[in-house]
Amino acid sequence: MIPFKYNVRNLRVRWKTTLMTMLGTALLVASSCILFGLVEGLEYSLKVSGDPLDLMILRKGASNETTGGFEAKKADEVLTLNGIQRDENGPIAAKEILNIAITERTNGTRNNLIIRGVQPASRKLRPDFKIVAGRDLESGKGECIVSRNISRLYKGAQVGGLLEFGEKERYRVVGVFTAGGSSAESEVWADLKDVERNTGRDGSVSCVQIRAASTKDRDDLKKAIEDGTQFKLAAIPEATYFENQSKSSIFLKAAGTLIAVLLTFGAMFAAANTMFSAVKSRTREIGTMRALGFSQRDVLISFLGESFLLCVLGGLLGLLATLPLSFLTIETSNFSNFASVTINFRFGPWVMAVALIMTVVMGLFGGMIPAIRAVRIEVISALREL
Amino acid sequence: MKYLTYILRNARRNPVRTGLTIASTSICLFLMMILLSFFAMNTEATSSTRIFNRIVTMNANGFAGMLPVSRVRQIAAMEGVVGATPFQWYGGKYHDEVMPFAQFGVDADSVFTILDEYAVPADQLADFKANKDGAIIGRKLATDRNLKVGDPLPLKGDIYPVDLDLTVRGIYNGDTNRDLRMCLFHYEYLDEALKKTTMSGSGGSLATASSQRSGNAGSIFIKCKSADVTTSLCKKIDEEYRNTEFPTRTQTEEAFGLMFAEMLGDLKNTIYWIGAAVVVSLLFVAGNAMAMTMRERTTEVAVLKAIGFTKGLVLFLVLSEAVLVAGLGGAIGSLGCKYFCDFVDVARFSGGFLPFFYIPWNIAILGLAVSLFVGFVSGLIPAFLAANSSVIDGLRKVV
Repeated sequence: MIPFKYNVRNLRVRWKTTLMTMLGTALLVASSCILFGLVEGLEYSLKVSGDPLDLMILRKGASNETTGGFEAKKADEVLTLNGIQRDENGPIAAKEILNIAITERTNGTRNNLIIRGVQPASRKLRPDFKIVAGRDLESGKGECIVSRNISRLYKGAQVGGLLEFGEKERYRVVGVFTAGGSSAESEVWADLKDVERNTGRDGSVSCVQIRAASTKDRDDLKKAIEDGTQFKLAAIPEATYFENQSKSSIFLKAAGTLIAVLLTFGAMFAAANTMFSAVKSRTREIGTMRALGFSQRDVLISFLGESFLLCVLGGLLGLLATLPLSFLTIETSNFSNFASVTINFRFGPWVMAVALIMTVVMGLFGGMIPAIRAVRIEVISALREL
Repeated sequence: MKYLTYILRNARRNPVRTGLTIASTSICLFLMMILLSFFAMNTEATSSTRIFNRIVTMNANGFAGMLPVSRVRQIAAMEGVVGATPFQWYGGKYHDEVMPFAQFGVDADSVFTILDEYAVPADQLADFKANKDGAIIGRKLATDRNLKVGDPLPLKGDIYPVDLDLTVRGIYNGDTNRDLRMCLFHYEYLDEALKKTTMSGSGGSLATASSQRSGNAGSIFIKCKSADVTTSLCKKIDEEYRNTEFPTRTQTEEAFGLMFAEMLGDLKNTIYWIGAAVVVSLLFVAGNAMAMTMRERTTEVAVLKAIGFTKGLVLFLVLSEAVLVAGLGGAIGSLGCKYFCDFVDVARFSGGFLPFFYIPWNIAILGLAVSLFVGFVSGLIPAFLAANSSVIDGLRKVV
């Protein structure tokens, strides 16, 4: 075996080339990581759901709560069913109504926001719901609370401000909340009654959310709601519901993968370039090593190792470069309902895997041909070379 | 120009390295084309609607707001208006695919006078007008789903609690930068179905969501007689309904389209940042290759200078080589991507996410310019080093 130290030293001796290649690959790896960080963030926000006992009740045939309205009368009947978990304030169940309305960002552009009319239990149905500034809203006073992301980005969405959606729909912002990174963090919450009144939609709800008392109760409730003649609604376990929602990110994921693949090829060629010239400038050295008795395999492994090391350094640097982005949030529109969605970059297992795969592919395939070329060198003529 | 042969020979001297540099440049530019075109194409397609003198009215609160369908008639009667049609989003499922393509309820009689850039065979159009359950679909949608005139097109309600059993009555065609993946059907067909659900569903209560949905035009597309009246008409319509229960927001079709781009918010910047990172990494990659090339040629440069080549000339030769190699990569990447997208209908694979996709010329040319820039900048340092290298050292050096 040719000692690994040899490769490390080689990289150090031609440090300019090493650095350039590293920076090049690092930026390409970082670009892919940013994209995947985005996709992972979006998926995470859609997948974080509350308790496994939670059920989402929608109109049959609707695939999304923003579109799944049904009559409030049915909703009230659902709330009287047995098997819903209770605490000191009554059943953990909430009727909710959603409105999507256009409003202005602080930078002057506009986007649609989801305004959710909630009941007190809505808070318990969200994971880690917490008021982080101001106070919670009081019902019937035209007040609202907003997620931290929305508060940062929208005009009038700060505590004490007034959020306006046209002539009739306006709410005084009294608090800012977080909800464990779930999709609620892209929403404005107001009192159910206020939203009903402002949008003229008394008598209908968008969805009902309930928490069952036990797994058996959950299954019974699901059956009663879906098959009961008075309901004919869809009761979807929350996890399943959000799993379906995150399918909308498939296109983004596919696009991200394509981009990562293209970038990997770009970086692979760059690494190959560097390794080719490394082999070329070291022809005599390789001849010497062979003459000393190192086998062809030793030379192959050594050069592959060097290329691999080069790419690992680049990949690590790229991954490091994405770290500060973990604190970033981007806000865009969800393509399924054209409402604002805020995405926190997440650099979890997916992103690490992408960076790792890119690095390995770059290192191995980029180094393969130059390494083979190094192996094929004839010892005699290599030693003769200037 | 007389040095062109020399530059070309130099570029071909290490074909593997040149090839790899060209390959990585072209791949990165291919990618950049796709990222940048996403926004540029939308802007271009949107601004190209200017010539049609169309304006769009929607509820001031956004798409979810109500816009009474009676206003279509009122607006159509206004001075300077050629015609108006509701454009009501249906968003149904097709064979259990959620929102596979855009579906709109429209006024069958006037829609193709308003969207007059689309062409429909006269007999198909007449057939569509005569059949309440008829639908007209875009040429690309027909190809994607293998649909012919006469085929059934069942849509299941997602937003609306009613299903539509449509039959394809016609196929429209238009330019490649128009949406050829829409499905247009009779507004009345959906509206009447919605009225029925109100009565049976909740004991005639007028306050249910479904009753509100009937009679809702969604948005209204309006064709104006000339470009001069578009602005005044927008104002006039909004004034007219300012103090009603449903105030409106009317804007040109161009502004309406740009509104969607605006919604994408930070995503746009993120994409641009990634594009910038790709360019910078290309600088490193191309610069590295050029530096390696020049290092190998130290002796040669010294000889050139010894036989009387000036500093400036050496600088020029090296820079030209760098620009040539990068430019070649850029040409393959950007123009190749353009022709690839012209030839292959990429939008088809986006699952309804994009109605069309193409690379606008200005983006292709921008890509080319970027590659030339990359070549120039990446060649600067090697070129300066070569131009200022000492002849004596160079001749003495053994590579």
